[in-house]
Amino acid sequence: MAMAAALRREGRRLAQPINALQSHTSLISQDQAPHGARSISTQIVRNRMKSVKNIQKITKAMKMVAASKLRAVQTRAENSRGLWQPFTALLGDNPSADVKKSVIVTISSDKGLCGGINSTSVKISRVLHKLNSGPDRVTKYVILGEKAKAQLVRDSKKDIELSLTELQKNPLNYTQVSVLADDILKNVEYDALRVVFNKFHSVVSFLPTVSTVLSPEAIEKEAEAGGKLGELDSYEIEGGETKSEILQNLAEFQFSCVMYNAVLENACSEQGARMSAMDSSSRNAGEMLDRLTLTYNRTRQASITTELIEIISGASALTG
Amino acid sequence: MASSGAVPFWRAAGMTYITYSNICANLVRNCLKEPHKAEALSREKVHFSLSKWVDGKPEKPTVRSDTSEH
Repeated sequence: MAMAAALRREGRRLAQPINALQSHTSLISQDQAPHGARSISTQIVRNRMKSVKNIQKITKAMKMVAASKLRAVQTRAENSRGLWQPFTALLGDNPSADVKKSVIVTISSDKGLCGGINSTSVKISRVLHKLNSGPDRVTKYVILGEKAKAQLVRDSKKDIELSLTELQKNPLNYTQVSVLADDILKNVEYDALRVVFNKFHSVVSFLPTVSTVLSPEAIEKEAEAGGKLGELDSYEIEGGETKSEILQNLAEFQFSCVMYNAVLENACSEQGARMSAMDSSSRNAGEMLDRLTLTYNRTRQASITTELIEIISGASALTG
Repeated sequence: MASSGAVPFWRAAGMTYITYSNICANLVRNCLKEPHKAEALSREKVHFSLSKWVDGKPEKPTVRSDTSEH
């Protein structure tokens, strides 16, 4: 993002005048101003104060934007939780299912400046990848969002199968996410899809979450092994469909519902994280501004005092 | 169930349940009366770009978008 780069550049530029300023003040205190210099120019400090003030304005505005976006997306995310809950009640969540082909769907944001939510989901994905890779087990990544892509390209670009971006151009809706889920299903081979996202808990807390969607074959295998899925046989199937057909439809629909919820929850966490990040950065800018104002005033005071002393001593030399 | 007879056909056409249910949902949306219909149709916009990766390199992204069609 251009703004992030600008902020970073600003920060680097700012780092230097601080030292320059300190050396100036130390010069004053030792009374060793460069030869012929009457007073120190406060231009640099004034410019910096102006730029810090501008940055503070920007971060405040970004916080407001994030807050209003958060409110819109939060209700949608909370409503969408009703979509995956029935599936979990019916099929259960099987994060420990032992399968050959896993696909990790990492969900992240396209834009930065939102704290650590993207690195959290990338970290969780890496752990899952490590847990699920072995001699005869293949694990691939499907990546949503620019930020996770940028992080995962560095060390595991061989394992990336698909990457999807520009999700949030329009407001998120089910049709979009289902088309996306469809594209993922068509392009990867999987026994288990593990969706990694940040579940929105409150504005300041996000739980990194993994939802597992098993393929129909994997469900049947788990059902034979017993446990919660063993109860599947007690359901009666209406119509002329076979159990495997039903399971395949269910798995596909489950995936699109889980994806819908995950994308919304992650968007919600992103806005929340951005809000708190921008809040703390505008507070930081305020503190910096306070410090700068203090230095600026002190320097100004010192130069005034020096001038006064010069005038008075000059006058007394004339009269005396 | 009326739809049970249709299942093998859309499967054979290479559709997944998601595509099938989306087509059905779109049909239902088209059955709405006017102010609601335009609203419901404009709400469901699809836009994202997808790129496949081969040997650690992304291929040219394809953009799935229906904003130009409407």
